[in-house]
Amino acid sequence: MLSVIPRQLGYSTRLFRHFATNAESLASPTVDPIEIEHFSKLSAQWWDEHGELKMLHRMNPPRVAWLKEKIAELRDLEGEPSSPSWKALGGLRILDIGCGGGLLSESLARLGASVTGVDAAASNIAIARIHQSHDHSLNNLVYRHAAVETLAVEGQQYDAVCAMEVLEHVDEPKNFLKSCAEVIKPGGHLFLSTISRTPFAHLLTIAIAENTLHLVSPGTHNYDKFIRPSELIKFFKDLGWLTGTYEDRPNAQEAEVRGIMYFPGNGDWQLSNRGSSWGEQCNYLFWARKPKTP
Amino acid sequence: MRVSVARVRFHPALARVQHITPRARYATTAPTPAEDYDIVIVGGGPAGLALAGALASSPAVYATSRIALVEAGSLDKVREWTMGEGEFSNRVSSITNVSREFLHGFGAWDYLDQTRTMPVEEIQAWDGLSSARITFNTSDIPSSSPARSPHLRPSQIATMVENLNIQRALLRTLEDKPDVNLLDNVKVLSITRNSADETDDYPHLTLSDGRTLRARLLIGADGPSSPVRAYTQISSYGWAYPTHAVVGTLFHRPHPLGLPNATAFQRFLPTGPIAFLPLSPTAASLVWSTRPELAAAMKQLDSAALARYVNAAFRLPWLSLNYLNTVLLESYASGTPLTASQAEEEISFRQQAHSIDASSALSSLQTTIGVPAEGSDSFPPLIHSLQRGTIASFPLRLTHADSYLGSSSQGRGRTALVGDAAHTCHPLAGQGLNMGLADVCELVRCLDAGAQHGSDLGTQVVLQPYARNRYAANHSMLSVTDKLHKLYALQSWPAVWARSTGLEVVNELLALKGAIMLGGGAAREEPNAGKAAMRFAADAVEVGASTLYGAKALLSGLGSIAGTVVGKAVGSLITNAGKQ
Ligand SMILES: Cc1cc2nc3c(=O)[nH]c(=O)nc-3n(C[C@H](O)[C@H](O)[C@H](O)COP(=O)(O)OP(=O)(O)OC[C@H]3O[C@@H](n4cnc5c(N)ncnc54)[C@H](O)[C@@H]3O)c2cc1C
Repeated sequence: MLSVIPRQLGYSTRLFRHFATNAESLASPTVDPIEIEHFSKLSAQWWDEHGELKMLHRMNPPRVAWLKEKIAELRDLEGEPSSPSWKALGGLRILDIGCGGGLLSESLARLGASVTGVDAAASNIAIARIHQSHDHSLNNLVYRHAAVETLAVEGQQYDAVCAMEVLEHVDEPKNFLKSCAEVIKPGGHLFLSTISRTPFAHLLTIAIAENTLHLVSPGTHNYDKFIRPSELIKFFKDLGWLTGTYEDRPNAQEAEVRGIMYFPGNGDWQLSNRGSSWGEQCNYLFWARKPKTP
Repeated sequence: MRVSVARVRFHPALARVQHITPRARYATTAPTPAEDYDIVIVGGGPAGLALAGALASSPAVYATSRIALVEAGSLDKVREWTMGEGEFSNRVSSITNVSREFLHGFGAWDYLDQTRTMPVEEIQAWDGLSSARITFNTSDIPSSSPARSPHLRPSQIATMVENLNIQRALLRTLEDKPDVNLLDNVKVLSITRNSADETDDYPHLTLSDGRTLRARLLIGADGPSSPVRAYTQISSYGWAYPTHAVVGTLFHRPHPLGLPNATAFQRFLPTGPIAFLPLSPTAASLVWSTRPELAAAMKQLDSAALARYVNAAFRLPWLSLNYLNTVLLESYASGTPLTASQAEEEISFRQQAHSIDASSALSSLQTTIGVPAEGSDSFPPLIHSLQRGTIASFPLRLTHADSYLGSSSQGRGRTALVGDAAHTCHPLAGQGLNMGLADVCELVRCLDAGAQHGSDLGTQVVLQPYARNRYAANHSMLSVTDKLHKLYALQSWPAVWARSTGLEVVNELLALKGAIMLGGGAAREEPNAGKAAMRFAADAVEVGASTLYGAKALLSGLGSIAGTVVGKAVGSLITNAGKQ
């Protein structure tokens, strides 16, 4: 329906660019307590479930459920033993790109994964770390102020990479996706969520959400940056990952595209059925798997 | 992942962040560091223990959460609770089939001492003035309802169980769940936020043994004066009824034909309903809601005198019973409580005035064992005594918290209320605990889903469906019980006159039936218990022979006292009411 991350709290934003240099210094032990107080406030704002990011908080459970389901499905397909549902990600190394305040990263860590959350905005990393510091059970989660390109250069490898609500904000989506692909182990998973470039998406996100209802700040979305599911599929076909899209049986080398819609009535997000295309008109989730052998 | 018992205040990976505010962090830290728990339940009453038991049986929650339950009283006393055969505790609840299924689902039902439970197969409720009566049984439960289950006897509407029997069974389900920490004999003294760090929104509990607990999610199952509710700053709506409930264990002879004691009886008197809830072939539980001064006077009576008074309360026409109340209050005021023989004399005199023969079903006086009088199945068996030490009384209130979840925007997030901490009601439909168990069932469902999603269990995303799915259902139950209490307690004569014709009350009795039959969970499909009650209208009313019988008795009663001052006053009131 619309980007769930308002401009001020998003992946790369003007507001945070202002703080970015200061947030950088959170890495140094000689920081002014006023700085910390400032980021603490922002953290509270980011994590306020009734605040600007309400819709993002609501979106988290269904997208986590889908991610778990995909991983379990593939394990099953390949005859690997299944783990209990509450530890479905046990033993996996997962990278969460554009982790923001850490909503998805924390959930993945609770489900047993070893998670690295990265964000291009240093302020988001500060926010995420402050939040993590209160939850003493999150021992398998680290945050880094880094771009995926840096991790690729370092030669990092992950079982799964997530980039949720990021693609619509990056300037060079092709390079970004290539770097994502590089840090995934052979046979690993890529999970994306973004907005499709359709007249419907334009109407909902820019005309209505930004200009009419002011649900998110004007300028949050740039329509030209929206990417269609078909464009993603073509990209990964060209990369040699895919043989097609999901038809009716799960297949390791077919991408999966699922629309996700917000229902204001009960405040829930719902995924479209597999194979149906209604939901892909606007917000959608995308999964693809790197081939086991190149 | 299980958090280790040794508490590490800050995660090493965060050293950089923590590092920055050492002064602020440690300045006001208590000498003993807070113990971290994912779920802290305050209250080891039936709701709190059911919550602990059900959470422990959710593999997702149990494997991923550290759980503690804090109870001010002694849980060992509950564990070791026993009572002689044939004796019963005075705190008894009618457990609906829905609640029973829930308890069965995680094994608690199997731990009950089944010899102390009693299936209820029929409920008879009638109006104290007109004797308009409804009788209901399982044929009134829709076949699709979850209250119909293969585990149950087909004829069972509800099960009478002592609260302690339930609590003991719940503790047994926790015996092989060492990771639920039961902290008893400790009181929660205060609940605060971490004063040293504003961004830490976890509630901190200070216990009477000096310990501090830090809770990801704090659940108040701490009863009507809930300290957790006070912390959340959730206000609640409601009022005290000018009514107390007198409880006690009643003893009677077995049925002369050896029939089981499987019928519950409730008579709606203008002072409040009196209920007989069967416990065994020779015992039953009394719940008599009445005016506080009458309750106080009753508690002074000896067992034999109170037994006679209870028998009269189920049978004697209201005018005479009301007169008996006056006698009771006068003797109480003069400091010489009514004796059994005085009570018997009064009742006998009143019965003669109403032409009630000593051998009729309407007689409150014991006769020799013989063939039961015609119509005697419409009244509970005659009580001969009450169990020592079981007579007690409770003030009754209606309360409903404005919300079941503390507001995270006001810094009171990570909190939820269940059971009597969230709502209390009049016991006339026997739903208080059933509502609490339905709360627990729904909350556990939400927490289980949260654990499967890797969610932070203290967040609104996880908890909101609980509040959404329980609030309206509980509210309609509270409204029905409140309305019923008020309708029956109306003392103005026009209203009483309208009721005494028996026409008005039929709807009210149907609403009661709706509340009882749909209570405790089934109301999820049917949020409006009042409406649901109306659905029963077509098939279930039974303003039958007993009504005519009662009405005739009332009229003849009026006739025979027409010459008295009371009779004249009543006569003119009825005439006036008729004109209006
Ligand atoms: C006369 C009468 C008849 C009833 N009949 C029925 C019936 O037939 N059917 C039915 O369903 N319901 C019935 N009810 C209602 C039922 O009894 C209650 O709804 C039920 O007992 C409430 O259970 P609870 O666990 O929510 O609260 P409680 O039983 O009140 O438990 C709260 C617990 O919290 C503990 N606590 C409180 N404060 C603190 C603190 N600061 N620190 C530590 N611990 C604390 C207390 O010690 C207590 O153990 C009846 C009620 C009455 C009065």
